[in-house]
Amino acid sequence: MAVMKFLCDTKRCIECNGCVTACSNSNSEALVWGIQRRRVVTLKEGEPGEASISVACMHCTDAPCMAVCPANCFYRTDDGIVLHNKATCIGCGYCFYACPFGAPQFPQKTSFGSRGKMDKCTYCAGGPVPDFSKEEVELYGANRIAEGKLPLCAEMCSTKALLAGDAEVISSIYRQRVAARSNPNVIWGYDPQTAADFK
Amino acid sequence: MMIKSLRRLLTLLVVLMSVSVVMPSYAANEQTSQQMANAEQSTADMWRAVKAGEVGTTAATEVEAGVLINTFGNEGKIIKNDYINPAMMAVVVGVFSIFLIFFLVNGPSKLTKGFSGKMVLRWSRADVILHWGMAISCFALILTGLTIMLGRHIIQPFIGHEAWAFIIHFCKTVHDWVGPVFFVFWAICVLKWMPRQTFKSYDLKWFLVAGGYINFGPFKGKHPHSGYANAGEKMWFWSLAIFGLFICTTGLMLVFPGLALPREVAMIAVLVHGVSAIVIIGFTIVHIWMATALSEGGLECMKSGYCDENWAIQHHDIWYDEIKANGSLKYQD
Ligand code: HEM
Ligand code: SF4
Ligand code: SF4
Repeated sequence: MAVMKFLCDTKRCIECNGCVTACSNSNSEALVWGIQRRRVVTLKEGEPGEASISVACMHCTDAPCMAVCPANCFYRTDDGIVLHNKATCIGCGYCFYACPFGAPQFPQKTSFGSRGKMDKCTYCAGGPVPDFSKEEVELYGANRIAEGKLPLCAEMCSTKALLAGDAEVISSIYRQRVAARSNPNVIWGYDPQTAADFK
Repeated sequence: MMIKSLRRLLTLLVVLMSVSVVMPSYAANEQTSQQMANAEQSTADMWRAVKAGEVGTTAATEVEAGVLINTFGNEGKIIKNDYINPAMMAVVVGVFSIFLIFFLVNGPSKLTKGFSGKMVLRWSRADVILHWGMAISCFALILTGLTIMLGRHIIQPFIGHEAWAFIIHFCKTVHDWVGPVFFVFWAICVLKWMPRQTFKSYDLKWFLVAGGYINFGPFKGKHPHSGYANAGEKMWFWSLAIFGLFICTTGLMLVFPGLALPREVAMIAVLVHGVSAIVIIGFTIVHIWMATALSEGGLECMKSGYCDENWAIQHHDIWYDEIKANGSLKYQD
């Protein structure tokens, strides 16, 4: 069985936010105003060593969200994708507190009590309702996995920094890149040569 | 503006409350911020800084969007799932069965002189109403809170999906709305009843003979001195006062998403809420056992506000002598 993962190559990511736009477009029916499933974070903006990383739900193997959810509404697909059932979600927010990547988000931010149904990246794999049904499109968004395609964010990445696919496959692509950059020991392939280094 | 300062106040409160719980993680944070300070330009260091919670810039606007990785919540998850949830299970089952066994072996604590039939005023009308307001709301919070914490293990496996979805929604909604009701009753009760609950020297002796409730061995037939409240009741009162403050504060923090608390603070609130619930639920089980089964004639106090004169003499002698002496003793007409 495949284990689907995302991997972002910081040496390639140019912070164009194309993945964010692709995601919003692919899942537009399901996304209420203000929710954005993917985001690009830039570290050391404008300084030596600047790097950008695109992040969404990482579909953790030992997912903290799944472990804390009082409604127990998460499940893992055969491809290792972490999905959840919005019909059962009570909007308590525990998954957001537990998730290391800040992936879960909520439509209601100001009311009393429930935050509404949690929303997060589905790896473009829909949800626990019939594939391509109206309900699936409206609650969860696209189901490209059922169409035999990868998530739109990775497919549309202009520099192919954001990789999606079976962990084996994408990590070997990444390894080849790192080797080609002749910097085999560097974890994220970013070892900047700046004026400061030549002093 | 108000929300902001409220948020700051609550943040401070919960941090103070939980310093002891999170000390280890605090130490880790200090270490990691040091690592961040020393971070060199190499990628390994960058990765380490990201894991330590380095904040970047982003176009996204949700809470803490600039943080790539925050491991605190996962530590909280471990504390909750490995310690707090099992402890709750152990307390509910353990305290209940210990009391059941004790009751079966020991039998109830009877009035040695039987009922006198003369009823002495103990609680005002207002007190009785306040008590049941607090008790009913607290009980609703206990049942719904337990379902939120343990339902996925003890209820969900045995029922269908639709039924589970209904139950967990029902519990969440009831818990959210009854919470503030409990808070109001709790606050009035604590303030109104506090003066009678200060510890006195005779309370220590009460503990030494286990309150006189044991019907066998060297404890048999002992009736320790006690004022308006006995030492056990005082312990219950102060536990509810202190952990009630914790549970209400953290509960209110969790019930207003608009506060947009940092994830660490929210996770600590969940943990403090859970620990306080364990203490309150443990004591509540003991309290209900004592009131309904163990102490003969005790429940009457909270039904009518009056207690039997012999019950007052046996269980609260110092209070009885006092009201008799100062003339405030009132019989039921
Ligand atoms: C004696 C009183 C109370 C008890 C015994 C109690 C018990 C519990 C328990 C056991 C949980 C689940 C915790 C977990 O899964 O870690 C919980 C969650 C929660 N409690 Fe309480 N609680 C009480 C009072 C309150 C109050 C006064 C509020 C304020 C409104 C409140 C609001 C919440 C909230 C918001 C949650 C999170 C789940 C949700 O959003 O429904 N609780 N409570
Ligand atoms: S929501 Fe967060 S914790 Fe859950 S699988 Fe995604 S990244 Fe992991
Ligand atoms: S918000 Fe929904 S998905 Fe997240 S922990 Fe609560 S019930 Fe589960």
